[in-house]
Amino acid sequence: MSRIEAKKPSLCTNEPLTKERVSFSLSVLSGIVKSCYGPTGRLKQLHNGMGGYVRTTSQSSALLGGLSITHPVLKVLTASVQNHISRFSDCGLFTAILCCSLVENFQRINFAACTVTKISRHLLSLCTDYLKSEACGCRISVDFDSIKTLLSLVHSVLASKPACMLNKTEANHLSTLVLKAFLLTIPHTVETNVVLGKCVIVPVKDKRVMDSTVFPGLLIEIPESQLARTFPVIRVSSSTIKMALFCISLSGDLSNIGEGTVIVHHGISLEVAVLDQLLNLGKQLINDQVDLVVCQKVIHPSLKQYLEEHRVITIDRVGVSMMEPLSQMTGSQPIAALHSVSPTCYGSLKDLRTESFVSKNFLHLIPNDTLVCSLILCNRNEMAWDELKLACQTAEHVLQLTIKQPLALLGGGCTETHLASYIRHKSFTLPASVLKAIDCSRTQYQLVADAFSRSLECVACCLEHDDGEILTDMVYGHFWSVQSGFPSDCNWSDLVLKCGCGICSNQQNLNWTVLQSQCIPFTPQSCSNEPSVNSTDHLVLDCFTAKCSGLQVAVETTNLILDLSYIVEDQN
Amino acid sequence: MAFRNVNRRCHMGLQQLSSLASIGRTLLGPVKSYKFIVDVNTSESVLTCSAVRLLESLDLTSAVGQLLNETIQAQNKDYKTGMTTLLFLVGAWSSAVLECLQQNVPFSLIVSVMSEGLNSCSEKIQCLQLSVDDLYKGSDSVPMHFGSSSLGPQIIENKTPGIESNSFLNPLVHILKEVPVSKEESVPEGLHSHQASPCDPHNRYLNSHLCTADYRTPSLVEPVGNKTMPVLPGSSLIASSCNKRTRLTHSRYFNTPGKSHCSLQVDNFGGPPTGPAACPYEFNDFGQLAMALSHGNQSSMKLVHDIVRCQQQVADHTGSFQFNIAEVLTCCLPGLAEHYSCVCPGYITLVSPEKATVTKKLQDRPLQILLVDGDLTEKYRHLGFNRPSNVRIISENVGLQESNSESLWINYVLDILIQAKVNLVLVKGNVCESLMERCILNNILIINPVTHNVLLAFGKGTGIQLVTYLSQVNSHCVGSGVWVDFWRTGDLSTMELDNKVPISIKAEGIHLVTAVLSSTVTSKMQVIEDRFWTCAYRLHHALTDQKVFPGGGAVELLCLSHLKKLEEQSLKQADDKPSGDFYMSSCWLTKSFTQYKPVVLKALASGWHQYLSRVMCNTAHYASEFEASTSIEHHLKKAADCGSPSAYILKEFNKGDKVMVDFGLLTKREEAVKVYDNVTPKVEAWRRALDLVLLVLQTDAEIITGPKRNQLLNSHGSSEFIFL
Repeated sequence: MSRIEAKKPSLCTNEPLTKERVSFSLSVLSGIVKSCYGPTGRLKQLHNGMGGYVRTTSQSSALLGGLSITHPVLKVLTASVQNHISRFSDCGLFTAILCCSLVENFQRINFAACTVTKISRHLLSLCTDYLKSEACGCRISVDFDSIKTLLSLVHSVLASKPACMLNKTEANHLSTLVLKAFLLTIPHTVETNVVLGKCVIVPVKDKRVMDSTVFPGLLIEIPESQLARTFPVIRVSSSTIKMALFCISLSGDLSNIGEGTVIVHHGISLEVAVLDQLLNLGKQLINDQVDLVVCQKVIHPSLKQYLEEHRVITIDRVGVSMMEPLSQMTGSQPIAALHSVSPTCYGSLKDLRTESFVSKNFLHLIPNDTLVCSLILCNRNEMAWDELKLACQTAEHVLQLTIKQPLALLGGGCTETHLASYIRHKSFTLPASVLKAIDCSRTQYQLVADAFSRSLECVACCLEHDDGEILTDMVYGHFWSVQSGFPSDCNWSDLVLKCGCGICSNQQNLNWTVLQSQCIPFTPQSCSNEPSVNSTDHLVLDCFTAKCSGLQVAVETTNLILDLSYIVEDQN
Repeated sequence: MAFRNVNRRCHMGLQQLSSLASIGRTLLGPVKSYKFIVDVNTSESVLTCSAVRLLESLDLTSAVGQLLNETIQAQNKDYKTGMTTLLFLVGAWSSAVLECLQQNVPFSLIVSVMSEGLNSCSEKIQCLQLSVDDLYKGSDSVPMHFGSSSLGPQIIENKTPGIESNSFLNPLVHILKEVPVSKEESVPEGLHSHQASPCDPHNRYLNSHLCTADYRTPSLVEPVGNKTMPVLPGSSLIASSCNKRTRLTHSRYFNTPGKSHCSLQVDNFGGPPTGPAACPYEFNDFGQLAMALSHGNQSSMKLVHDIVRCQQQVADHTGSFQFNIAEVLTCCLPGLAEHYSCVCPGYITLVSPEKATVTKKLQDRPLQILLVDGDLTEKYRHLGFNRPSNVRIISENVGLQESNSESLWINYVLDILIQAKVNLVLVKGNVCESLMERCILNNILIINPVTHNVLLAFGKGTGIQLVTYLSQVNSHCVGSGVWVDFWRTGDLSTMELDNKVPISIKAEGIHLVTAVLSSTVTSKMQVIEDRFWTCAYRLHHALTDQKVFPGGGAVELLCLSHLKKLEEQSLKQADDKPSGDFYMSSCWLTKSFTQYKPVVLKALASGWHQYLSRVMCNTAHYASEFEASTSIEHHLKKAADCGSPSAYILKEFNKGDKVMVDFGLLTKREEAVKVYDNVTPKVEAWRRALDLVLLVLQTDAEIITGPKRNQLLNSHGSSEFIFL
């Protein structure tokens, strides 16, 4: 007998943004993401309170992945930020903070949602057009002839993740390694379709960061006991090693038996039958003069013994993540069946060596044409290692995006303040025809543009966590931080040192003003001709593609959130 | 999701950290107070005197507690030493940072100044590093019992006047030393001599009186008044002496300057050390070095020393020698008096009386061995083998039962063992009971569980492969030349403890050495075992690093004096000259760097200061921390006056005076042993401690997810949390 329960009616909330609970939750979330931003950002401990793993992080992907958010409005926000992160890796916190600030600032001016949406879309297009134009004053082009800009890009990514616990030397060392690993994945000959290789991160936890290193080719960890019986390698010819790559389990079980029941007569052993098949396979591999057998899963000990007695090297349990680089590097087709193994599936290697590295032993697979490399990544503990791995992956992704679009934006808050000045200035000089086209008054446009600029400046201000004050200059519109509580009559240039991205210094006699104070709109100049661009100092740079997308995602998500008029929740 | 701001009033995380770490204060230094940890629910108690065991036994559910435990465990996993130092410094630095916060120093500045400060200190102390080479060259002139072939050249060396020794002895002392020392195990060799060290001004001074030849370009010790740190010459010298190994060391004094001081007979191990702790010296005695690293655990270190001799003896037959810690085992015999502790070659383990009878039958003849890397049961399958759930076995014969399959399997296994003439089986996992019984009846000895590295050592020694299933057995898998015997005490009697009999298994070509540890107090067994491993790893790290620090607080003292110097420098530095090594070059913090730097450096120094005074207090040489602290200040002042703190510290260290902390604890002055510290474990412990403190400092919120949220919502502390 089934019990029938009456369905609860759905819960409908109108004007969700005006509800106190929503705005409170939004402000908490905004507080969390804002406090994490930048190289001096504060860290968050994510754990379950019951003795589980404590993740200390300030990175958006770990943070948003760890938060369990129930409210639909917040879910919209986090989902679009997470989607951005999955595509670009970088600028996740920027997107989240900008989105939160836009919602807050637009709510404050209290216009009809459709007006705000229309104007903000127009402002967004102004921004993206500007960023993509040659005249843009907050971007520099990346010169692939020298590593300086690329190194700055990587360094900026790593330095903005304080939970990695890197000191200056370690950050420099790792930046170089990440860049080196990336350069190893670029093909030597450029054809029409360029496919980048792979960089595999090999974990070595509980060791010093400075022990990290890069190897061309792949490193697979093997136990020391195997090391002794593997070598010396016997091979077909002196230059090639034949390799078979299996993606099915060779453990001799019957895992793919299918549905239903198999009835076996007593005295017949399925296991023995499977093992016989495996040994037949082994025989074929030996006949085909294969030197190396790599299996994603487990190899049956008897098959292993049989192959090793015939001087075939076996490596099992390499894991699914290694399969793609392995097959790309050696040209071998992953074999998915026990019988009918075609010799065309075999791949080849140039050499096979062993490397001992901070008390671990690796088999070093050296391909003929190296597009795959291994980054041995060390950090002192598991938590810092996780954080560092994420940072390195982000940096690698940033480099990949940069090679597609060789531009970089000025970091350290300078792009945000520069863009804000640009928008302010534009909103005053906008032709009436444009206003007419989007059907709003100039005052309306200017108010929304001001809120937009404030939100951008708010993101920049989030870089400051130690009660400093933020200034901007009236020439380039860059970001300058000073100690708070300075006397009003002092000389500004004594207070400031360098702008956020490091291009401008206090030597230039710029006209400074407190950020977000009322000032006359001005056209921010480009400083890409400044001599400091070519100096040896590291600039702080951001990924162009990721930041442009972040800006777009933030504005569109804000529009979506502002447009929400009802939330219908199924309560069953 | 619950959200808690940990920074609201004062930094909660740091407060937790400092109070948690304070429980380890009495564990610091060679004199440790034992702690009893009692579970109020079960009344079970644990006796402990190490930071690792202490934290292991505590119920640390808070996030900070867990991070602390993880950090300590990571240090333990890698180095087995330095955990108490780590715990103490975590406590000291977190309270020091809390004080900085009260003075409104910006968080980011604390983070960068402290980590730069530690970096600078780690670089600075490199000039104190002593090359391990130099340290036990002093013992060359002491005749040794083992390896008689090695005596020849040493005697010759001894008879050469003027160049007799590398240790800086004055001639008088040396006469004493020429008297054959017959008890060098019990009397550490370092006793009469000062160790040679490349950075030792005291020795250099003596030197110039002893010989006319110029000794070395004198650039090793920090020149007086020089602000830049000439660390590199010293360390590079150590490095160069590491690369060129000498088989026999003659006096360095007749070497031409610039040439490595110990390179008269460079052996064929020209390159850098190959394996772990490569130390291809043929004639040496680690006694002096080992004792200096014992830090009060002389009895444990004595065992380690014996292990080295044991391994050396095996190596004498085969050539080069390595202290291989992977082939060291322990066997605990609780209930036996402590003087039974000893070192035995081979594998010692406890077996049941039934197996002891088999042992009796098998002793005195070579045995055939089989190594099983898994369980020895019918149902056992290797890892990664998934049993199908939907296979049904049907039978046409009514008489056949399920239970029969096991006896069939046992017969099959026994057949294999008998046919292969195997007498001894080492099994990693479980063994089927009835198989065990049948094997005992057939005089086959099965030992289980055996750790993986024991299996590997036997595999390596006898040249056989490990098997997972007995069906794999073939001629490559059965080894020969293995002997079993009862483990005997000094008076050659066998033992039975708690219904278990210790037996020993030996094989030709096997390097395994077992340290048999005993204690009448069963609850102390764990402590004794931990101590043994700590000692073993200290020696291992010293040989891996090829260098040690002078101990007894010398390194900490140099850090303190270095920080003081940095502090003074930063006070003098003009405001408009921001230091170039600051991480965030564009921030306003760079400008106010100089303003706060002295405060933060002081906080960093206070960690080491507390550490030193605590150790001095614990060793009972000083009545109070205040008294200890005064003594530290006194030394710091003298070091500063001296101009070159590192020279001063080395001089004091070589005097063997109770300058700083005396870890030796020997009352008789002449028995005082030099104390050395490990290099990498120590510096790593500092770094890990500071990293943890700075990590917690930078954390401003705890985000708790999962079912705990609802518990928190209903708890009385719910006002602290924000619920989303």
